[in-house]
Amino acid sequence: MSASAVVARAVDSSPWAVPLRLTWLLNRPGTSGSAAAILPAASFAVVTTLLLTVLAGALSFTQWGDDEGNLYLLLAAFALILLVLPLLTLGGSAARLSARRRDEHLSTLRLLGASARTVRQVTVLEAAAQAFAGALAGVLGYVVFAPFVQLIHFRGAPLGSAYWLHPAAAVVGVAAVVALAVVSSVISLRRVVISPLGVRTRADAQKVHWSRAGIAVLIVVLCVAALLTPVGAAALALAVLFGAFAGGLAVLNLVGPWLVTVSAKRRLRRAATPQALLAARIVLDAPKAAWRQVSALSMVCFTAVVAGAGAALLQTAQSEGPEDFLLQDVMTGVFITVIAGFLMVACSAGINQAATVLDRAELYRSMHRMGMPREVIDAARTGAVMQPVVLVSAASAAVSAVLLFPVTGAAILFNPVAMAFLAGCVVVGILLVRAGLAATSPVLTSVLERDVQ
Amino acid sequence: MSTSLPGAPLLAAANLTKSYGNSTALAGVSLQVRPGEATAVMGASGSGKTTLLHCLAGIILPDTGSVRLLGTASDVPAEITSLDDAARSALRRTEFGFVFQQGLLIPELTAGENVALALMLNGTPRQVAEQQAAAALAALGLGGMEGRRIGELSGGQAQRVAIARAQVNGARVLFADEPTGALDSRTSADVMALLLQSVAGTGRALVVVTHDPEVARWCSRVVTLADGQIVADTAGVAR
Repeated sequence: MSASAVVARAVDSSPWAVPLRLTWLLNRPGTSGSAAAILPAASFAVVTTLLLTVLAGALSFTQWGDDEGNLYLLLAAFALILLVLPLLTLGGSAARLSARRRDEHLSTLRLLGASARTVRQVTVLEAAAQAFAGALAGVLGYVVFAPFVQLIHFRGAPLGSAYWLHPAAAVVGVAAVVALAVVSSVISLRRVVISPLGVRTRADAQKVHWSRAGIAVLIVVLCVAALLTPVGAAALALAVLFGAFAGGLAVLNLVGPWLVTVSAKRRLRRAATPQALLAARIVLDAPKAAWRQVSALSMVCFTAVVAGAGAALLQTAQSEGPEDFLLQDVMTGVFITVIAGFLMVACSAGINQAATVLDRAELYRSMHRMGMPREVIDAARTGAVMQPVVLVSAASAAVSAVLLFPVTGAAILFNPVAMAFLAGCVVVGILLVRAGLAATSPVLTSVLERDVQ
Repeated sequence: MSTSLPGAPLLAAANLTKSYGNSTALAGVSLQVRPGEATAVMGASGSGKTTLLHCLAGIILPDTGSVRLLGTASDVPAEITSLDDAARSALRRTEFGFVFQQGLLIPELTAGENVALALMLNGTPRQVAEQQAAAALAALGLGGMEGRRIGELSGGQAQRVAIARAQVNGARVLFADEPTGALDSRTSADVMALLLQSVAGTGRALVVVTHDPEVARWCSRVVTLADGQIVADTAGVAR
C-alpha cells in the first residue's frame, strides 16, 4: 500500500475526517470562501511579522553575554511582556475576523444537519489553516523589514547581524501564531451560537458599574500609602515599587471600561452631528469591547511614562560613562515599545474595522442609499475607535504621572526635552492608530460602491 | 398602456436601460409616478424591479435614459441622471424616503435616534430632530417607544420605525423594497396600511418593489416587469 493510501485511510478513520473534507470543500481554491480568507490571513501575517521583529530585537541582546548585556536582556524581556497583551489582542482580532467571515457558511452547515461539534472542528481547522498561511507570509515580512530594524543602535552600535533569528525561533513563532488562532477561535466560538438560522444577535447594551471607580480609588490610595511608608530592605522597597506598578495597571483595567462609558455618555449628551451621535452610541453599545480594543495601550503608556521619566531623570544626574549608553538605550527601548504597542493596536483596530464594515455592509449600503454621505459613515466609525484611544492614552499617562509624581515631576523639570520626546512618541502612536483606521477606508468604499456596480 | 392618475408627475423616467456585463436589467423602461399614487413594481427575481427602483431614486445611474424629479423647491425639474454622487445623495436625503425589507435600522441607536438621524443629516438641530422624531413615531403608534433600542422591538415595530424615518424629512416619494418580506401576514397588512396612509392625501407618492401579489393588491397601480421591460401596467385593487 502506498504512503498516500495509508494517509488517506488514517484520515478516513479519524473523527476529524468529515471536518477536514468540509474545510477543504469550503476553502479550496476558486471558492468564495478562499477570497474571504485573504483578509484574516493577511492579519495573521501582520501578527507574525510584529512578533518575530520584536522577538528578534530582544534576542539580539544575547550577543554581549556580560553583566550589562544581561541587564539589557532583562529589560528586553520586560518590554516583551508588555507587548504580549497588545499582541494577544491583535491575534484575537485576526481570529475573530476569521470566524466572522465564516458565519454564513457555518450556519448553512448547521442547516444541512452538521452537528455543533463538526462546525466547531471546521472553524478550528480553518482558523489554523489561515493562520499558518498568514504566518508564513509574516516570516517574509520579518525578513523584508530586517535591514531597517538592524540599523537601530544599542550600546553605541547597530544591531546588525545579531538581529537574525535562529530558524527554530521562527518556527516556534509560526507555531505560536497558529496556536493563538486556534485558541482565539475556540474562545470566540463559545461566545456565539451558530444555529441553522444564522448567528445569534445580541439585543442588550453592555453595562459597566460605577463601583469599578470606587475600587480603583481604593487601590490608588493603598499604592500611595505603600510608597510613602519607609522601608528597610532594598528588596522590600523593590517589592513595594513593583506592587505599586502592578496596582497602577490594575487601576487602569478596573477603571478603563467605566471611564470609556462615562466619556461616551458625555459625548452622547453633547452630540450635535450624526457622526458624533453614532460614534458615541457605538462605544456605549459595547464599552467593554471598546476598552479591550485599546486596553493594551494603557499598559504601554503607563510603562512608557514610568520608565521614560526614570531614565530621563537619571540622564540628567549621570556624567560621562558607559551608563550613558544604558540610559539612552532605555529611552530607545521605551520608544520602540510604545511604537510597537501602538502599531499592534493600530493593526488590531484596522482588522476589527475591516471586519465590522464587511459585517455591516448591507446596513452601510442602506444608509448610503438614504443619502448618508460616505464621510459621515467614515467619521462615525473612526470616532468610535479614536475617542477611547485618546482617552486611554491620556488617562494612563496621567495615572502613572500621579502615582510616581516625584519622579515624573522632576523629569519634566530637569529633562523636558526627553519628556517632550516621550509625549511625541505617544502622539505618533495615536496617529498610527488613526492611519490603521484610514487603511480600512477602501473596504468601506468598495462596500458602498457595490450598489453602483 | 399607463393607468396612472391624471395630472403632473412627480417623477418621470424615460427609456431607462441598464446592463450588468452581458445581463440586461432594464431594456427601455419609461415610468411616471404621480402624487398620491401607490405603485407596486412586480416581477420575477431578476426581472429588473430593484434596478428600476435604484435608478428612480438616483442610487445608481442608468446606462441610457433619464429620470426627472419635478416640482422641486427651485421649480426647475431635477435631472437626476445628470447629477453627481453628492447631489444625488442630497436629493435622497431631502426628497426621498426608503423602507427596506429588514428595516436596516442602526442597532446601536434608539428608535427615536434612528428617525432623528434622517433630519440631522439635513442639518436639523438634534433637539428639534428628536422632538419631530418622537411625534413621527407617535403618529405611527409607537408613542413612548423612542428610547427603545432596535433589538427590543418586534419586526413590525422596527418596520414602523423605518417608515417614520422614511417620511420624517418630508420626503415626496417613498421607495419600499420588499417592505413586508420579513413579516407575517397580519403585520404585513399593518405595515402596508401605514405606508399607504403616509401617501393618501399628502401629495406624496409610494413606489413598492415586491414579488408578493398580496402586497400589490394594496396599491393603486401595479407595474409588472419581465426581462427588464414593462409588460403590464394595470390599476390595482385598492384604486
